[in-house]
Amino acid sequence: MDIFLQQIVNGLTIGSLYALVALGYTMVYGVMRLINFAHGDLVALSAFVGLTVYTQIFGEGITSLIAVVAVFMFTAVIVAVVGVLLERLAYRPLRTAPRLSAVVSALGAGLVIQNAVMLIWGPNMKIFPSEIFPSTIWAIGGIVVTFTQVMILGLSSALMVALYFFINRTKMGTAIRAVAIDQDAAKLMGINVNRIIMVIFIIGSALGAVAGLFIGAYYRGITFDMGWMYGLNAFVAAIMGGIGNIPGAMLGGLLLGLFNAMITGYISTQWAETFTFVLLIVILVFRPTGILGEKVAEKV
Amino acid sequence: MSEYILEIKHVSKYFHGLVAINDLSMKVKKGQIYGIIGPNGAGKTTLFNCITGIYTPEEGQILWKGKEIKGTTPFKIAELGILRTFQTIRLFAEMSVAENIMSGRHIKSKQKWYNGIIHTPAYYKDEKENWEKVGELMAFFNLSEYATTPAGDLSYGIQRRIEMARALAAEPELLILDEPAAGLNENETLELTQTIRKIQAMGVTVMMIEHDMEMVMSLTEYITVINFGAKISAGLPAFVQDDPVVVEAYIGSDEEDEHE
Amino acid sequence: MMNKTSLIALALLVFMGFYPLFVDSAWLAVGTTFLVFSVVAFSQDIILGRAGVFHMGHAMFFGMGAYTTAILNVHFGWPILATWAPSVLIPMAFAFVLAGPIIHLRGDYLLVATIGFNIIFIQVLENDVFGLTGGPNGIFGIDIVRLFGIEFASQTYMYYMAFILLGIALFIMRNLDKSKFGRAMFYINKDEIAAQSMGISIRYYKLYAFIVGAGIAGAAGSMFSVQYSAVSPEAFNVTQSIMFFTIVLVGGSASLPGVLIGTFIMFVLPEVFREFETARYLVFGLAMILTMILRPRGIWPVKFGDIPSYLKKGVK
Ligand SMILES: Nc1ncnc2c1ncn2[C@@H]1O[C@H](COP(=O)(O)OP(=O)(O)O)[C@@H](O)[C@H]1O
Ligand SMILES: [Mg+2]
Repeated sequence: MDIFLQQIVNGLTIGSLYALVALGYTMVYGVMRLINFAHGDLVALSAFVGLTVYTQIFGEGITSLIAVVAVFMFTAVIVAVVGVLLERLAYRPLRTAPRLSAVVSALGAGLVIQNAVMLIWGPNMKIFPSEIFPSTIWAIGGIVVTFTQVMILGLSSALMVALYFFINRTKMGTAIRAVAIDQDAAKLMGINVNRIIMVIFIIGSALGAVAGLFIGAYYRGITFDMGWMYGLNAFVAAIMGGIGNIPGAMLGGLLLGLFNAMITGYISTQWAETFTFVLLIVILVFRPTGILGEKVAEKV
Repeated sequence: MSEYILEIKHVSKYFHGLVAINDLSMKVKKGQIYGIIGPNGAGKTTLFNCITGIYTPEEGQILWKGKEIKGTTPFKIAELGILRTFQTIRLFAEMSVAENIMSGRHIKSKQKWYNGIIHTPAYYKDEKENWEKVGELMAFFNLSEYATTPAGDLSYGIQRRIEMARALAAEPELLILDEPAAGLNENETLELTQTIRKIQAMGVTVMMIEHDMEMVMSLTEYITVINFGAKISAGLPAFVQDDPVVVEAYIGSDEEDEHE
Repeated sequence: MMNKTSLIALALLVFMGFYPLFVDSAWLAVGTTFLVFSVVAFSQDIILGRAGVFHMGHAMFFGMGAYTTAILNVHFGWPILATWAPSVLIPMAFAFVLAGPIIHLRGDYLLVATIGFNIIFIQVLENDVFGLTGGPNGIFGIDIVRLFGIEFASQTYMYYMAFILLGIALFIMRNLDKSKFGRAMFYINKDEIAAQSMGISIRYYKLYAFIVGAGIAGAAGSMFSVQYSAVSPEAFNVTQSIMFFTIVLVGGSASLPGVLIGTFIMFVLPEVFREFETARYLVFGLAMILTMILRPRGIWPVKFGDIPSYLKKGVK
């Protein structure tokens, strides 16, 4: 029972991280029908940017709320700028090209970001400062919850709720949904599609940046090529939930996090990925467009 | 077997709870040219999509030579001998005209599964026959000069001819044409009328949606009029033309329908 | 145009034929691997470039062929020649079984499902299932080809075997393109609804592409395992799959010269620039983006319209 509850806490933590990253995939896919393969590498980039911001600007060993907030804000802004540049340089020129050309461009962009990180920060693992969050630990009835976990769960939930309201209750959100449904029609109604896409990349990259910082704070060791693994899991989560669907990405992330935690807790770590993909394929066999994804009949 | 090659019985089709076809019935005689008219959005194309298996209607029956074909996948419908053209032209745009028409020969080709890897004398014979048939169709539709041109590079009128040639290449029993005259000039429309007559003379049954009234009236032997997914009138062209219900439906809808 | 292409092809053939005579052993091995990778890329192209299936797990079929030869030879003592048929047939069988349930999925869903198969495959190899796959280190000591007492041991033999394999692959590609099967794949790729309406079964031809592609990749895998006399998981992971995927799109989907160019750029060029170890993949990524922007259909795009000459008579 203890393991079970503990794995639920761990699973929800990882799941929130997956969900944050999955949102970036799903929002870009929703408006551009593009799998942004570089997104995972943006997540990795943000962990390194955060590390540098923290150590260079605030100096090691400082734990203050202001410093932490500043690190998050600063990193999110930098990574959002990179995300916007990515769209401008690598994706916008390919908007009318065959779909797979943009996929290759995304793969190339991922390589560029990943190797830029390696050239700047070196090929070896870097250790994220432990003091960024207090090392407080709560032991509640046999299970352990760290301060970092509480932060991850709290902030991710808050961000997701905020995003949900932003998409569903604001004018900009409505415009985003309109572009997702039909770009041409949205254009005719006076919506600036380029601006919407820019907003999407800002939000997606910023959420990814938050996830990247949390990954640093939670796992401590960060490597230039870690984006692939987190990116793939998050992408799988987005697909499970139904790609293009925002609540689907959140649901998929949490589901995958919990499932992973249960598998590694009870069954095996060696076969964890196999279980992940078996689950994915089973879901797709029964629901070909993911759990919340809608089937769109092509108009003939 | 009855004299009707295709029978549609009380068919209804919904999209997101909205009715697109409403309890529609009709019967098409073998060898006929059968017309379907109605304002835009009436559900005509949806009906064709139901017949060709692109959509499956929620209610009713579609009988092909007396056998239920509702819910059959599109490729099997084509194998049964029902071929179609599309209102919004759907050619393989980057491929040449000849290759486009060759796709119609698919179901007639007798190549075996291993012929994709290794060629046999039977393969060469089959391949030659099919290309020759493509050549005949290009001649019939005046397309020979465009044999190697990518279909997408050609004018609207020519593309419509390619689509018909492609469907005809499969030697259909029923040819379904969705607004074949849309976007054609007067001359081209006249040519099309003659072409459709020739196709009928080959023994092919033709079903067509068309807004060009002159053409419909001169060509078809029987007409069903649809509005809001339901049949509002049916009969010989002369009867339908003067049916007040039909006149009402057309006046009630936009002017532009007639030209689109 | 046709003439120019044949001329280039002939020059290339002559060059490739004499290549082993003027290179050292390291470059000879690069040449052999280039030939093997070209074969894999062509087989990927059947699935991705022709049938238009978003398949990003092709290294798995390549690996299945390699491991089939390795396991049968090292663990069961089969001569290499005898492992050729199973190393083609086993990937084909897996292609049928694995692709069957997912082939109807929409493009991007299929992409991640095929990545998933590849990842599962790698875990099977790394976890040394049934003690057959050798875990992360793989399998060593694979034999050479022996026939009538001749031992095809030297790297030069390896090169020419791969050369013949590429010839066979090209022969099959050409036959495919000129058959109802290859054409059906193109029709499906360009417009599924129109293709179905012409009587083409989407499922049948996509599976056909998968199975033929897997078989050819398996043959290349067998050759690969003999060339290096060893196999290990990382040669067949998703990164490799992404490379084959990219080769096809950078070179030009469904274009024979395009895929060769793609293989050269994605595999041989990085070998040439080995000294610039650290920066080369950064440049590489930039090149991928630039290529797609400048040539969205690939460096040497496919040209349609290869029809019998008697149909071209009326062409003005
Ligand atoms: N795939 C679809 N999804 C939703 N609605 C559809 C679809 N196809 C057709 N419709 C709707 O069905 C109605 C009939 O359309 P259609 O058959 O194309 O009309 P027509 O061909 O008579 O102009 C229209 O309201 C159209 O919007
Ligand atoms: Mg219509």
